[in-house]
Amino acid sequence: MAKKDETESFLPLTPAAFNILLALADGEKHGYAILKEVARRTEDKVRLSAGTLYGNLARLESTGLIAESGERPEIALDDERRRYYKLTKFGREVAMAEARRMEEVVAQAHAKKLFRKPETA
Amino acid sequence: MPKQEGSLSQKFFQVLVRALPFDFRANYGHEMESVFQEQHREAEKSGGPLDFLKLWAETLTGIFTTAPREHWEILKNDCSYAFRMMQKNPGFTAIAVLTLALGIGANTAIFSVVHAVLLRPLPYPDGQQLVFVRQQALKAGVQSIRFSVHEIQDYREQNKTLSGLVEYHNMSFILYGHGDPDRIRTGVVSANYFNLFGIQPLLGRTFVADDDNIGAPPVLILSYEYWKNGFGGDPAIVGKTFELNDKVHTVVGVLPPVPQYPNENDVYMPTSACPFRSAKALIENRDGRMMDVFGRVKPGVSVAEARADLSMIAGRLKLEYPKSYPDKLGYTADASSLQGELTHGARPTLLVLLAAAAFVLLIACANVANLTLARMSQRERELALRTALGAGRSRLLRQLLTESFLLALAGGALGLVFASSSLQLLTDFAARLTPRAREIHIDGGVLLFTLLAALGTSIVFGSVSALFARVNLGSRLRDGSSGIGAGKHKNRVRSALIVSQIAFSFILLIGAGLMLRSLIKMLEVNPGFVPQRVLAMQTSFSFSKYSTAEQYADITKKVVSRVTAEPGVLSAAVSDSYPMQPEVIAGGANAVLGSFQIEGRQLSPAEAPRLGSQTIISPDYYRTLGIPLKEGRTFTDADDAKSLRVAMINETSRSLYWPHEDPIGKRVSGDNGDTWTIIVGVVGDVREFGPGHPAIPEFYVPQAQGAVPTTLIVRTAADPSAMAQAITRAVHDVDSQAAVTHILTLEQARSESMASPRVTASLLAVFAGLALLIAAAGIGGIMALSVSQRVREIGIRMALGAQPSAVLQMVLRQGLLLAVLGVGIGLAGAFALTGLVKSLLYEVAPTDPVTFAGVAFVLIAVAIVASYIPARRAASIDPIAALRSE
Repeated sequence: MAKKDETESFLPLTPAAFNILLALADGEKHGYAILKEVARRTEDKVRLSAGTLYGNLARLESTGLIAESGERPEIALDDERRRYYKLTKFGREVAMAEARRMEEVVAQAHAKKLFRKPETA
Repeated sequence: MPKQEGSLSQKFFQVLVRALPFDFRANYGHEMESVFQEQHREAEKSGGPLDFLKLWAETLTGIFTTAPREHWEILKNDCSYAFRMMQKNPGFTAIAVLTLALGIGANTAIFSVVHAVLLRPLPYPDGQQLVFVRQQALKAGVQSIRFSVHEIQDYREQNKTLSGLVEYHNMSFILYGHGDPDRIRTGVVSANYFNLFGIQPLLGRTFVADDDNIGAPPVLILSYEYWKNGFGGDPAIVGKTFELNDKVHTVVGVLPPVPQYPNENDVYMPTSACPFRSAKALIENRDGRMMDVFGRVKPGVSVAEARADLSMIAGRLKLEYPKSYPDKLGYTADASSLQGELTHGARPTLLVLLAAAAFVLLIACANVANLTLARMSQRERELALRTALGAGRSRLLRQLLTESFLLALAGGALGLVFASSSLQLLTDFAARLTPRAREIHIDGGVLLFTLLAALGTSIVFGSVSALFARVNLGSRLRDGSSGIGAGKHKNRVRSALIVSQIAFSFILLIGAGLMLRSLIKMLEVNPGFVPQRVLAMQTSFSFSKYSTAEQYADITKKVVSRVTAEPGVLSAAVSDSYPMQPEVIAGGANAVLGSFQIEGRQLSPAEAPRLGSQTIISPDYYRTLGIPLKEGRTFTDADDAKSLRVAMINETSRSLYWPHEDPIGKRVSGDNGDTWTIIVGVVGDVREFGPGHPAIPEFYVPQAQGAVPTTLIVRTAADPSAMAQAITRAVHDVDSQAAVTHILTLEQARSESMASPRVTASLLAVFAGLALLIAAAGIGGIMALSVSQRVREIGIRMALGAQPSAVLQMVLRQGLLLAVLGVGIGLAGAFALTGLVKSLLYEVAPTDPVTFAGVAFVLIAVAIVASYIPARRAASIDPIAALRSE
């Protein structure tokens, strides 16, 4: 496991970066698939364009949070221009750290009675 | 159709992607296209135009937020890498920055002058509308005649193109009530003078129409400089009173710092306050021309239209007053833009200096390019490694250009320090050429220029290293050889750079050499008088105390005899000007030339009127100045108001107007024959306007025959400056209210008259010296490099029996070849360019063979000396060690 400091230095992640990491959490994907997954999961609230997507991918790749996957689908399904990206172990730790950070923030909001009605109601 | 549309969008997207850095595109470009294609297809499927709009909006924002971020990242990396490289090579960095700083600093300094003087609009609102109005007698060759009161009224009332027309003349008065009696330069102006220029007072008010009425209470406005220097910037100055011309004047305002044209003045007064301008005789005399006139053209009217308007009025005046404007004069009126009037004297000099500074920068560029090339050889391994690690060529290029730019930027910053520390010197220099000198300072425009100069510089020398990277890196990686072919190419580039440095240095040296030769020519000129050990000063006596010719003759006699009695004084005289007097030179020859007629000679209509300058002198003037008598007699004390009116002429007058006869005994008149003056003697020519200007036809008349003396000239036995106080005291012994100012030795006056060519020559010499130094270092450097590359070859030659002296000669020949090539190219360039300095030269041709030969000799000699050290090293190579070394 990477040092805590090292993961913390990435926090907080931008919404786009966090969503990309989340999209890769359940398996490798190519660029367009990431974009679709993020849109579906956030009900179109987070919409990535080609520019923002690849700007983020470049940063995540150069800092080692994601990597290009060596495996490719069957030739019939493959588009040669596509590259597949996967979450690295370190990337997973950073994403977890970010999720924990958010959790703590939400817990604090509860403690401050920011939510008027109990969530279960 | 949709397909075509799709491909169009695709193409547009491909263009958009180009905003991203090259490496980013190489890495992700194709994927981005494919993602966009999918998105586009999907939008097509759902079909709504809103979806397309949304897609494009997101795509555009995405790219234009990502691109700057990516570029910034690269810049940050490149900069920190470049800083590390600079730290690793402090020697290279220091030399490159210093060389560039000299080049950029020279350009920044000269540009700050050019910017303030030639480029910026006048510091008056709508300054381009301001014009200088003049009358002309074209057939007589007189370009500028002043105006009389009648003429000013006529032009003011009759013109249709000017929104205002104001008058100006300049006088000296004595101001009492502020320490010692102070002789002040006074501008006498129309009440709306400052309104026309749009000058707002710093304190108080400017003049109003009522100030101009005859009998109005006298008022004064102080110039900014006089207020600062004379009164320490006293904020309570407005309302203070001073005595001038026997009247109490009240200060009503202070001017802001603005260029004063045509003269610098200490104070301004309205026309009603000037005892001469308000005299009835002057006001009524159509031919009493003593005023300059300025105008402002109406909005939308061009200067050419104003010119046509004015010359039409001149035509009308000619018909109306044929006696004042006879046909033979070719009388007309003209207007020219004030901006041009203020700056035309400075333009040629400044442009030459700007060109010279640009050359210095080019030489600096070539030199730094050479240094960079040499260092690139050391960096080959590092660059090759980076290429191998995946840095694209354009990425590397970008890195190298960033390094160049940072070097140039550091050079620019240091250059700015050089420039600002030389600014005071340059301002003093420019003040001799234009009244706009006070506006010189380093402002946003100059900073922008420096930045652009640094950018341009870095592109010039950075592209050389980039070119090298392009040629070398690919091949180096492939074959891993020591790159002999590339080395040869590199040496050729280096040699070409050296040749260009020598060529540019040659041109600069020619410019400096020509200026120097012309300065020497000026120094060799016989000025026609003996300037050594002569002191001149302006002396003013209260106009109200002395009003008749007899009174002036009396006070003059008393002052001269009292001063002559002072121990250490050899002789003394008074006059109304002295040779090379700065104020007279500033006014120009046109200002002192007046027309006269010769008894018994009628001018034909085709002939130009006869012109001459009149100088008022007391008897000992010639003896005091050492002007030789050529013929006839000089004045004596007997030539006074009661005796026959007499004059003396100089040799130029004699050869112009009496070339074949004896002028002695001939009579001339300056007032259309009302009074006649008889010529009694001829004296040698004097270069009144400085050594560079020929003598003008001169008439001397005795002061005692009715004129105001304004200047005291004293020849002393020893250092004249040491006598200044004693002489001032002697004058005050006679009249304690006399103002004694502007004390100057005639040697100072002569030196001052040559200040402009001297400073131009020294600036050019500094630039040329810098160029020579840089070029010499360049030659020495490349010869040393070439020797170190050829150690083995030279070793073999020596092992095969070559004598050290032969090796020495071989290296020297190589250096000589570069120098000769450079001189050859420089020769062609100099022939093409020296026409530019022609107007600045005195009796030296722009293609002066002595200068050209001398400069070629100096440059080649310097090249040989610079090659000598590496040549000695080559000659002392030990063949055995050299052969083993590989």
